[in-house]
Amino acid sequence: MSAMFKRFKREPLLPILIVLVMLCLLVFIVYPLFQIAKSSFVGSTGEVGLQGYQRVLSGGGLFHALVNSLVLAVLTATLSTAIAYVFAYTFAYVKVPFKKLFNGIAILPVISPPFVIALSAMLLLGKQGLITKNLLGLENANIYGLHGLVLVQTLSFFPIAFLTLSGLLRSISPSLEEASQNMGASRLKTFLSVTLPLSVPGIANAFLLVFVQSLADFGNPMTIGGNYSTVAREIYLQAVGSYNLQAGAALAMVLLTVTIIVYILQNFWVGKKSYVTVTGKPTGQRRMIESGALKHGLFTFCMIMSIAVIAFYALVPIGSFIKLWGINNSLTLDHYKYVFSIGQKAVKDTLMLAIVATPIAGLLGMIIAFLIVRKRFFGKKALEVISMLSIAVPGTVIGIGYILAFNKAPLALTGTGIIIVAAFVVRSMPVGIRSGVAALQQIDPSIEEAATNLGASGSKVFTSVVLPLIKSAFFSGLVNSFVKSMTAMSAVIFLISAKYNLITASILAQVEAGRIGVASAYCTILILIMVVALILLNLLVKWMGGKERSA
Amino acid sequence: MKKIAIGGLLLSLLMSLFLSACGKESSGTLTVYAGLYEDHAIKAIETFQKQTGIKVNYVRMSNGEILSRIRAERNSPKASIWFGGPADTFIQAKTEGLLEPYVSKNVEAIPQEYRDSEGYWTGIYVGSIAFVSNKTWLQEVGLQAPQSWEDLLKPEYRGMISMADPRSSGTAYTTLATLVQLFGEDKAFDYLRQLHQQNVIYTTSGSVPGRTVGMGEVGTAVMFSHDALKFYKEGFQNLIIGFPTEGTGYEIGAVGIIKGGPHQEEARQFVDWALTKQAQELGKQVGNYQQLTNRDAVAPEEAIPLEKLNVIPYDLDWAGQNRERLINKWTTEVLGVGKGKD
Repeated sequence: MSAMFKRFKREPLLPILIVLVMLCLLVFIVYPLFQIAKSSFVGSTGEVGLQGYQRVLSGGGLFHALVNSLVLAVLTATLSTAIAYVFAYTFAYVKVPFKKLFNGIAILPVISPPFVIALSAMLLLGKQGLITKNLLGLENANIYGLHGLVLVQTLSFFPIAFLTLSGLLRSISPSLEEASQNMGASRLKTFLSVTLPLSVPGIANAFLLVFVQSLADFGNPMTIGGNYSTVAREIYLQAVGSYNLQAGAALAMVLLTVTIIVYILQNFWVGKKSYVTVTGKPTGQRRMIESGALKHGLFTFCMIMSIAVIAFYALVPIGSFIKLWGINNSLTLDHYKYVFSIGQKAVKDTLMLAIVATPIAGLLGMIIAFLIVRKRFFGKKALEVISMLSIAVPGTVIGIGYILAFNKAPLALTGTGIIIVAAFVVRSMPVGIRSGVAALQQIDPSIEEAATNLGASGSKVFTSVVLPLIKSAFFSGLVNSFVKSMTAMSAVIFLISAKYNLITASILAQVEAGRIGVASAYCTILILIMVVALILLNLLVKWMGGKERSA
Repeated sequence: MKKIAIGGLLLSLLMSLFLSACGKESSGTLTVYAGLYEDHAIKAIETFQKQTGIKVNYVRMSNGEILSRIRAERNSPKASIWFGGPADTFIQAKTEGLLEPYVSKNVEAIPQEYRDSEGYWTGIYVGSIAFVSNKTWLQEVGLQAPQSWEDLLKPEYRGMISMADPRSSGTAYTTLATLVQLFGEDKAFDYLRQLHQQNVIYTTSGSVPGRTVGMGEVGTAVMFSHDALKFYKEGFQNLIIGFPTEGTGYEIGAVGIIKGGPHQEEARQFVDWALTKQAQELGKQVGNYQQLTNRDAVAPEEAIPLEKLNVIPYDLDWAGQNRERLINKWTTEVLGVGKGKD
């Protein structure tokens, strides 16, 4: 009892903080999910039963979609993590030219609504595709289906893996690798027995994030899935198309269960080992790989990937100036005129809401990561699991859940900006949490203990020791929140109101109407806004965190 | 760490500004869920605001999304008007008690077959199902534009047909319900199974196939003629529109009042207005070419009058009531059987 009291006296803010965080998560994640779970048992006329689940587990179609989704997610997550690792490794260990460019390119796919990549894939690799028809002369190229989805999802999601991995690889202390090499181990041996094992939490996190994103992805299967049905699409078709919320909700619950199992497995595998490498003891600069076949190989790989990504993205701004892609290739400014007259409000609203959501998501993400890794308290495991739940749920379901949950007093939030901001935060926070956790697991707690022993308070330790040490994770969390908020689609499509319109909803409407030009113009503006914002954000984080700890 | 404190202060300032901005919702604003194309919705709403002085907010969504949303908001509806989109969704909403009946004073101008007799919804435009093909492709493979449903089963069409998925698209459900009413249920499903063996590419939205046909991704699509006309006017000049000789169906785009929504009086004014000749004629100004329901309204000359086509007597109520059953049947008996070899 006295021990607890002592703890409380030393860190009076901690229990309050924990309660606050828990409360937020309960209201904005658990409660909406509970509403969905509830509706999975209730039919449209109010009868209670298991029909929804029967339909999922008996009906061949829905079960098939589940298997399809898992296959897709495993393929995409494996490929994305592998590519991201090579990128991140090159970035942290190899002296190559165009590093800034590679970094930009690796982030590029994040900063655009996913269906843009799908659109470009059609323009490049479809039946009339630039590459397939004009370059390779293929007659019946088919981009629709599993292979198209893997391609598009990998390009869309590997940056998430990259953001998770690059911070982590850069913060691995060079001294361990130097020790290994000094003892005569080859570079390969060092990589296999030091670097790779140390990056296991990062790899597992990256894989999990991409896996879950792929499962919940909705935009790509809608545009390019062809007849390859996936769960997220099926949920939308059931809940929105067939007006059968019950079956949609039941399917969502099944998907949620799968994700939680994956999460637990990953946690079981990675969670028990120690990956501390930042110990507070002085370490030197890493000696970069400056020559040799390895350097050239990695450089070539990054170059090829970059060119592929550029090819996908160049189409967007180009397309925004072209009257009608493939039919009438004359140049025009009409699409921008449309965006600046009709679309102006959507651009403003989106930007404002995203700016509000970003710091909240970023800070909350780091705080939760810190609580998970460093503190011991009742309900910690629950906190960890709940905070990750939101990305496991397809956006459409979150959206419907939010409407169900926040439509009546005391939480009458539908139609307000708050509900959109909450959705932004909840959807983007998990990435921040994961990268924060991965970064913190590498830092020896003794540094913080030293600060505490010197008389620093809990909040002081967090702001002046922890935050600077996990700065790159914090930054990637902020970047991710902003970008995800600006480009969120499925979750907020139900939450947009007459008062708050969002760019992505406008883009979707344009894509549906076949106005690729206007959609591209929206996307180009969106990408420009995000690039400017990212630069500002980078400056801000540098200013807040003082001097950079290591290059 | 002072900087963090300053940052936090700035943040909270921003938040409070934002929250106070959220707080004040201006009263007297009519909220509309629009299922029309964005440009059409904006044009109509701007004109309405100018003429009546009533302020209108709108959200554009697909029809299924609008229904889901109205359902979810059942206990405290946020919007009062549902503007545009096929009437079968309105019928579904009517059976679930989500709509408020209102027989407009302007209803006499609308023929009876285009409106609900109790006034739960009233038609504002009509469009028919058509075959939309790519001229260039037809020439390449040496085919005429398809004339009948039967034509689509020719081997040349294999892998080159696109239509929307009836689970998500009103267009596709209209097609499905048309075929069942035309051929009888068993024959219609036989036909749909054979069509499925042609490796049809199903899309989520009913208008998207128009673009893929225009770009040459596929050869022919089954979709609404007015959607195709819109694409044609946008510049896809190689689209050719034809109608099945056996008979085709049509959709009625409707407007209705959401039960319990705020500002019911203004909502009624909106419905009155939407039925007028002048309101209906706005669509063509921004490139929408449906037939209009108001007897006096002049339809765009590009629109294809139903009288010229072999149109089946489409039973909307039947289509609305059998929707779930037919779609389930389609999902298990057509989609579920797998497709033909490539």
